[in-house]
Amino acid sequence: MARILTVYGELLLRAMGQTLLLALCGLFFACIIGLIVGLMSVIKNRACRVVAAVFVDVIRGVPMIVLAYFVFFGVPYLFNTILGVGGVTLSALQAGTICLALNCGAYMAEIIRAGIESVDRGQMEAARSLGLPYWRAMYRVVLPQAIRTMIPSIINQFIITLKDTSILSVIGFPELVNTAKNVVANTFMSFQTWAIVAVMYLIVITALSRVAKVLERRMSRGR
Amino acid sequence: MAAKTDKVKVHVSHLKKSFGRLEVLKDVSTDVYEGEVVVIIGPSGSGKSTFLRCMNRLEEITAGEVVVDGVNITDRHTDINRVRENVGMVFQHFNLFANMNVLRNLMLAPVDLKKADKDTARERALQMLDRVGLRDKAEAYPSQLSGGQKQRVAIARALCMKPDIMLFDEPTSALDPEMVGEVLEVMKELAREGMTMIIVTHEMGFAREVADRVLFMDGGYIVEEGTPAEVFGSPKNARTRDFLNKVL
Repeated sequence: MARILTVYGELLLRAMGQTLLLALCGLFFACIIGLIVGLMSVIKNRACRVVAAVFVDVIRGVPMIVLAYFVFFGVPYLFNTILGVGGVTLSALQAGTICLALNCGAYMAEIIRAGIESVDRGQMEAARSLGLPYWRAMYRVVLPQAIRTMIPSIINQFIITLKDTSILSVIGFPELVNTAKNVVANTFMSFQTWAIVAVMYLIVITALSRVAKVLERRMSRGR
Repeated sequence: MAAKTDKVKVHVSHLKKSFGRLEVLKDVSTDVYEGEVVVIIGPSGSGKSTFLRCMNRLEEITAGEVVVDGVNITDRHTDINRVRENVGMVFQHFNLFANMNVLRNLMLAPVDLKKADKDTARERALQMLDRVGLRDKAEAYPSQLSGGQKQRVAIARALCMKPDIMLFDEPTSALDPEMVGEVLEVMKELAREGMTMIIVTHEMGFAREVADRVLFMDGGYIVEEGTPAEVFGSPKNARTRDFLNKVL
């Protein structure tokens, strides 16, 4: 184990950095997608609600690994070979970000929808009765209250997404699992390598949960 | 009891409202005059609250016409937000913004809608809190207040927008009995000052004392209307008599 650490330690750390980079990119866009789709599913417009529901159902119904192959291999093939547009390529980071953003975004949308729906309807009505337009009322009154209930689920989703980056080893992104596979291939030290990788994930995720706890406590103050 | 004028503040004609197949308001017409206090009574499910909520279009109006302060709010092109700025509403369940303290509850709409700058809004908010006797609660959060206090804050919040008309939707129904009085007191004061008020309530004593006119609703219609003396003293309609026998 010491040998792995001395020889491959830096490589594994850098791979962890790549994992975090991918997770951050994915989460950033997931938050945007989640907010847009989540809001689409609570507004009055029926078409918006249907689009949001279909998006969530489709993404939830497809395994992440299939999504990864589809985006990384399928989409460029569609453009280059079937449509003959040519020159469309996605880097593993781009494809990975898209996959995580879509996947996590769909779940975030559900969290945001549920959070908004958990706020008493009277809050929106009271704000509207004072003359506030819908989106002002949403922004000033409903969303701040929804976020409090959403925080634990959002953090949970962040953690799941961070772990899901390991699935993207299949499209060759040099994140932690992919790199560890190479280390094992070179050294044959499966036990040691995977143990180290597991501990690395554990440390990062435990730290993240701690931060979440603090955040949660701070948000619930002043009630 | 208030100084009622002959200027029509709210004109309702042949108002209909359905929720899906359920027709809640079948044909309601009435005029409310400036300074008038109209109290709506009736059994539950008679459409009282729905009727009130059509006055500021919290419920979409199915058919008919509602004109508030000369503005036809049934018209799709009407900017309903502008109308609502002048129509205060007080709800059964208070609906104070849980994420803000009392002062910010009162200042939100005036500041956000640029009705006043922050200092003016704060000054007015404190004045209104004074009025309902809760200045010392300015920094408190809604969850720290009693029901009666919440409802008085809700009234103050509506008043901060300087409305011409106030709608009250069963403002005392969710209160413990000992807190009903303090809220009714504030409402009486408003009535005395000449505010145009439409009130849905089960407080018959209050209705008798404060109302210029009482509307009795049942089954989606205004079945009977008149002064409190007429409606409570000698109800003409059998359904009104039946209802009053049960509640008085």
